[in-house]
Amino acid sequence: MVLELKKPRPIWQIMFSTHHTDVALLYTITGLAFLFMAGVLAMLIRTHLFFPGQNFLISDSVTFNRIFTVHGLTMLFLFALPVAAGIGNYLIPIMVRYKDMAYPKLNAIAFWMNPIGGALLWLGFSDTSWVSYAPYSVIRAPGPAADMMIFGLKILGISSILSSINFIVTILKCKHPDLPLRKVPLFAWSMLTVSLMTLVAMPSYAAALIMLLTDRLGVSGFFNPTAGGDPIAYLHLFWFTFHPEVYIFLLPAIGMMYELIPRFSRKPLFSQGSGVFAFVMLGMIGFASWGHHMYSTGMDFTTKVVFMIGTLAAVPASGMHVFNFLATMWGGRIKFAAPMKFAVGGIALFFSAGAGGVLNSAMPLDFISHGTYWVVGHMHLFLTGTIAFGFVGMIYYIFPFITGRMYNEKLASIHFIMMLWGTVQVFFTQHLLGLEGMARRVYDYPPEYSSWVELNQIATVGAWILGGGFVAFLINLLYYSSKGKEANMDDPFGIGGKYYYPYQAKNPHH
Amino acid sequence: MSHSQEPIYRTTGARFGKMMAILIGIMVVGGVIFFINYDYWNSYLPTAGKIQEQGAIGQHIEQGKVTGQTVEVNLSFLESPDFKTYAFNALSGSDRNPEIHAHVGDKIVFHVKNGGKSFHAFGVTASKEGSGPVIDGTAVGTADNPLKPGKGGDATFVASQPGEYYYICTVPGHRELGMEGKIEIAPAGGAAASSGAEVKPTGNKVEFTLSFVMSSDFKQYAFNALPGQPGTNPDIKVKSGDTVTIHIKNDSKSFHSFGVVVDPDNPSNILWNSAVATPDNPLKPGKSGDVTFVAGAPGTYHYICTVPGHATLGMDAKFIVE
Repeated sequence: MVLELKKPRPIWQIMFSTHHTDVALLYTITGLAFLFMAGVLAMLIRTHLFFPGQNFLISDSVTFNRIFTVHGLTMLFLFALPVAAGIGNYLIPIMVRYKDMAYPKLNAIAFWMNPIGGALLWLGFSDTSWVSYAPYSVIRAPGPAADMMIFGLKILGISSILSSINFIVTILKCKHPDLPLRKVPLFAWSMLTVSLMTLVAMPSYAAALIMLLTDRLGVSGFFNPTAGGDPIAYLHLFWFTFHPEVYIFLLPAIGMMYELIPRFSRKPLFSQGSGVFAFVMLGMIGFASWGHHMYSTGMDFTTKVVFMIGTLAAVPASGMHVFNFLATMWGGRIKFAAPMKFAVGGIALFFSAGAGGVLNSAMPLDFISHGTYWVVGHMHLFLTGTIAFGFVGMIYYIFPFITGRMYNEKLASIHFIMMLWGTVQVFFTQHLLGLEGMARRVYDYPPEYSSWVELNQIATVGAWILGGGFVAFLINLLYYSSKGKEANMDDPFGIGGKYYYPYQAKNPHH
Repeated sequence: MSHSQEPIYRTTGARFGKMMAILIGIMVVGGVIFFINYDYWNSYLPTAGKIQEQGAIGQHIEQGKVTGQTVEVNLSFLESPDFKTYAFNALSGSDRNPEIHAHVGDKIVFHVKNGGKSFHAFGVTASKEGSGPVIDGTAVGTADNPLKPGKGGDATFVASQPGEYYYICTVPGHRELGMEGKIEIAPAGGAAASSGAEVKPTGNKVEFTLSFVMSSDFKQYAFNALPGQPGTNPDIKVKSGDTVTIHIKNDSKSFHSFGVVVDPDNPSNILWNSAVATPDNPLKPGKSGDVTFVAGAPGTYHYICTVPGHATLGMDAKFIVE
């Protein structure tokens, strides 16, 4: 039993502990709590859009804006980042055979910034949308909500920089001398890549947030056109951080699949080298494509071509991951336990989301899909279809190691089927809605457009199915963590063999 | 160190309950703080926005007081089926964006209805382009919270200043696509309209003799006699269409020029070619001038010294056309 506590302790001791498994537990629980809170907001949004021209659920457009803003901010900064950091905290010290993270106190500080940042985002409930583009966020977004959002994001940004430093030092400096870097498991490689990316990318957004704040206070005018500023400058600073951030969200999920797929295929990984190469490639290429978020802002043709090629350059590296997964599964005696189901589903949806991404990167097509539901569908297909699938699979995987009990496999199957079905139904449909011309972030739509009405209702039903899947997940987490069957701690999934769980390798510190 | 030798700890119900109590407790406390202060969180504009609002106060126009008649206007928002042309009442023809004529103090009541398929919002503005600023109290719906198809509302507009106003759709872009109509506001004329319009001469001829006078300290200006003395600033009464001849002499020590205007604050807008000399080329002391013109539409006008500032100092008298 490596991941859970050695002996029962009061909960406050876990809360103020600096041990990596305790911090990891806090990170994971916080991330999951925010997942369900933001999920409720998503259900509100979709249910509201079920009928056109009615405001039976959300009474005014400002409230609608606030809901989708907080939904986006929470899912990205308070679910995706903390859960990745939590799983990383659990596994990375074990993977590199060190007793803890390199800086345990820094680790705990980095975690405790999350609830504070989260409280600022949720108390203010800002209405700027998660991108908070100028000039709206500068001259109109009401305070103190928008200012609280800026401070909350600032704190979360510092938190992710601190935890990045911690991961980098742990992996590079604290790994066991007998373990060469190239043999470090691929999940640790993914965390190393995203930590380095965070260090390079985050300062740009940190600067943009400070500039946004001083602009709002009226002492500067970087992004305020009436003060001679340029709102496009904000877009550049923002997307220089947040296109790489897409990979920062994605790569840990890919790394988790690298943990799950060889285990449940009962085969060694097909190629460690190509996985490492593809991570490093994506980490660099991620910085060459931020402009594709801004094709329609009037940049010149040459720049657009450069960003288009930079975007397409991510395809081969992503393909290497997919082929690595497929080659690992090929000929294996696959055991489709819940973690494996989610990993395989995640690969399939990763492929389809990536195909949509290739279309997006072609700028003539981007002019048609820009600002429509196509974009919403594409980005959610990545975030739900790949990232959430990877995370959920990983949470099922470590569930017995955290609680000492097994989740209910039947409920997990229901969760998987509903989540896969719902994801496809909502987000594929949203692609079609975008092609029909429906703009994203709209509060209402005219009932005369019957195709919009139909597609919105299909998407909303899909969202309810997706939400229903997460109800099954919640029951699994809540009920079976204390009432589930006792897990066989040597081999909870019945895979057999001694070396399928790498972190059970002999480690004097554990 | 094999795992079977370690004590295995498994989560219990009590422990799980404590954890959930902490988690849900935090959420409940947070929720209470959030909803108690619900109106506060989104309560004020950022300073940058306030600075911008103050900059726009120069164009800020309040509604005037109701002194005249009530004008009722029915307006309906329409779009062409391809959503390329937008208009009020009709997409083409004379009913499209009807022009409204009224006077200062008249109460214009707009009955607005969204007869289209898109979202619209109504407002009256004095600016010649853009979607605002909207005059206080004339908005029906806003760009943020527009009128849905089939919905409607009423708004009233009372101009405090004569001039050109526009009724528009305040949803950004819709005015440019054609949702814009003119409101011509003429100066208040009591019961009679003082539009300043020209009329055909009736052949009836009248003559008046006037003179510019000033006090020796250059502080009091008037026509014919200084203020306080009999005969100062006499009212001139004529009939609409009369051919009026004015003989005017400069009996003061300064330079003057003559004209009949609607608004003494706007002396450059001289009616009916009634000017004698101009502020650029005024009557010198002791010189005289004549002008003959046809009195226009009925109303109360002003004959003034058109040199800027002189009307305000007293060279301002009534010119009544009946």
